[in-house]
Amino acid sequence: MTRAIVAAAFSSFLSVFGAVPSAAADNETIIVVTSFPEELTTRYEREFERSHPQIHVQFVWKQSRDALAELTKPEQGGADIYWAPSPANFALLRDRGAFRKISIDRAALPGRLGAQQLSDPAGFYEAYDVAGYGIVASPGALASAGLSAPRRWRDLASPEYARRMAMPVASKVGFSPALYDIFLQSEGWAEGWRLLSEMAGEATLLDSGFAPTASVREGKAALALTIDFIAEIARANGALVEMIYPEGAAFLPAHVAMTAGSKHVAGAQAFIDFLLSKDGQQLMMERDSRRHPARPDAYQDAPEGFANPFTLPAPTTLDYDWEIGRRRPPLITVLFDLAIVEGHAESAELWRKIHDAEKKFAANAKAMALIGEAKKLAAFVPVSESDARATAFLERFSRRDAIDPQQIAQWRDDIAAARRQARELVKSLEPAP
Amino acid sequence: MKRLGVLLCAAVLAGAARYEASSPESEAFTQPIEGLDAERAASFRKGGGIFRQAWIIGPSQDHPDFVGVGPLYNRLSCIACHVKNGRGVAPDKENGVARTMAARLSVEGKDAHGGPRVHPDYGAQLNPEGVPGVAGEGQAVVEYAEFDVALSDGGRIALRRPALSFRKLAYGPLGPETKISLRNAPPVFGLGLLEAVGEPEILAGKGRPNFVFSVETGERTLGRFGLKANQPNLEQQIANAFAEDIGITSSLFPAENCAPTQSECRRGASKPELTDAQLDAVSNYIRALAPPARRNLEDPRVKDGESLFHQIGCSDCHRDALHIADFPLQPALNGVEIHPYTDLLLHDMGEGLADDRDDFEAGSRDWRTPPLWGLGLAGKGGDGANFLHDGRARTPAEAILWHGGEAQPSVDAFRALPERQRGALLAFLNSL
Repeated sequence: MTRAIVAAAFSSFLSVFGAVPSAAADNETIIVVTSFPEELTTRYEREFERSHPQIHVQFVWKQSRDALAELTKPEQGGADIYWAPSPANFALLRDRGAFRKISIDRAALPGRLGAQQLSDPAGFYEAYDVAGYGIVASPGALASAGLSAPRRWRDLASPEYARRMAMPVASKVGFSPALYDIFLQSEGWAEGWRLLSEMAGEATLLDSGFAPTASVREGKAALALTIDFIAEIARANGALVEMIYPEGAAFLPAHVAMTAGSKHVAGAQAFIDFLLSKDGQQLMMERDSRRHPARPDAYQDAPEGFANPFTLPAPTTLDYDWEIGRRRPPLITVLFDLAIVEGHAESAELWRKIHDAEKKFAANAKAMALIGEAKKLAAFVPVSESDARATAFLERFSRRDAIDPQQIAQWRDDIAAARRQARELVKSLEPAP
Repeated sequence: MKRLGVLLCAAVLAGAARYEASSPESEAFTQPIEGLDAERAASFRKGGGIFRQAWIIGPSQDHPDFVGVGPLYNRLSCIACHVKNGRGVAPDKENGVARTMAARLSVEGKDAHGGPRVHPDYGAQLNPEGVPGVAGEGQAVVEYAEFDVALSDGGRIALRRPALSFRKLAYGPLGPETKISLRNAPPVFGLGLLEAVGEPEILAGKGRPNFVFSVETGERTLGRFGLKANQPNLEQQIANAFAEDIGITSSLFPAENCAPTQSECRRGASKPELTDAQLDAVSNYIRALAPPARRNLEDPRVKDGESLFHQIGCSDCHRDALHIADFPLQPALNGVEIHPYTDLLLHDMGEGLADDRDDFEAGSRDWRTPPLWGLGLAGKGGDGANFLHDGRARTPAEAILWHGGEAQPSVDAFRALPERQRGALLAFLNSL
């Protein structure tokens, strides 16, 4: 649906309700489409309704695809507000004319994090929070293994962390495609996949969002890749873990917007104002939420040891490319399954042999050149960096049911062939029987 | 001989599984029983996810397994009311909205199974929310009136009496004959252990059993769960809560929660939305949630308070010891003595707590003795620190003073205690 078509569908609402009333009507209900967890949304509902007893907030829970479908219906399912961690949806819905402009206090809400734009420059949606992507670690486990904490993403591929790492599976854990995209934007496409493959070779792969932090908390892993609030919630509730933001980490926003078709403009604006107020922003830092406000002054009473992304040293955060970031995660999900998840046990054995060979032939330049070639083949992904930046190519993966199965089969074969070559190269280094 | 002693000791230790969990206060109600095998641990995690999951107005591409909220409902998830697996949070004075509470509704008479006859226009419970096209039924609003109770030593404790009213009733007035019972969400840990107590041991207690209808067997069965012991087992309790609170149907409750006169509501599909596998997972999650371990056991005040608890008759109903008869989730607990401080039976609690609403064999003044384990940790995890069936008591002392009926002699004794002894009794309760 084009922006013009949707905008026309909403025009009847705008003509009647376009002007912002001065106050919310008594006993009105505003409908908020969200995918935030119940523990968080119910806190906001309670606190907002305490200060606005004439307004009732009703949540409709929808994740990305469902929310997109709902909010592109002609009447947008009666929704007044969309509030979710789904940057691609917000950009798409803005382009389709699904939002109306909201008023924002720019003195308090910069809408940026360093060079990174968080909010819509045109004013159709605003950053609510930022979630950091990085590493959850057990300081105790690292210390007892005599290891220091990683400082860069690439440190994680070091053999000393092998068998101590846990990683979420991109196709199973909602936050992980964005996490791996940050990794790849930071380290570069080809080198990034080599590092991911090497890390994953001997890592434990996990299929739920809570599992990386749980595996570190329970001592099954010393380090794991995660979105930060899960680790911070665990830490706040007594787990002996810490969140590490390596160089090149990124903080990605969740947003809030008012629908173009809202029939409760004043009430919706009041809820948005509350979400973005200092009090509202501080609510998200409570023990069972531990998210990062998009409003710098909300960090005034932040919990001890809680990172403030607005004051982190410059090299920590990546200048995240949104145009890539909003399109590439579906491709990453497909490639992660093919190159990392499928044949993981076989890949683990291959990487063990490569690491053993590296130790054995460290002083042998010719052997090390062969090993370098084997590493490239072991980590092969059949998509070039230029394709991985091309909008038309990335669009082919935007819907799971539209992905060409023949293409997938071909890539699977190509990866298998590269691994076979890698194994043969490593084997060629072994003495003949 | 020494070696035999070591072996015996090891055997005893191996068999001495703990039924309580030790954890930080904020996670006190979220821990599993120790020693679950890998399959049960996985089921626990899955069930916990369903317990926290917000249900969806369908259809859904993202979560087709969680479709079907409504047409009428109170909240989107279990965790919204059972905050951190503990009690619901009492209404705020600014608006009085009973978010984590349900107003149970019925009219005079009994249904075909001996249970309450549901309200003809609103069904068994007021559901404030509706899906698009179905009007929510209205809001329950609670206001409190405070009054003081005098103690024998001259001290005074303020109690608050709730007054329930309704706003925006969408299906007409409730009618003067409507029987209304306001219920705050109770904690959900330790229930598997209570389910595993043998029926003979329960029936040996001093209270009255509530015999209720088992949906699965169609038989009259001992009720154990619910504030009036109106549910016979965890599956039925949980499936009923899904149906009444979230509008989620299941094989046990296949019909949507629409009253006969709610035509828009009755147009919705009603295939089982909660699968049997999901019900099993949630049931096993609840079943495996451990009660928190007691604290400060060696504190002399706690020990004095425990003695007083028995002396003034609290333990007549709040039985301090029951035994696990059969607990398949963790067979090592079979035969173990547990300390839930309940007898799972009904007692007349007096006119002050009466709700004017019968429930199977429970009269309006009857309430099932609630377990007291975890009492001292209420409110530490963001859950409500509100006690009694409708959350009117803000402290254990207030809860005690609301007791009446069979408990009146114990209340009189509590009021007559010197301040130091009252403090010891409350210190004991705080150690649970």
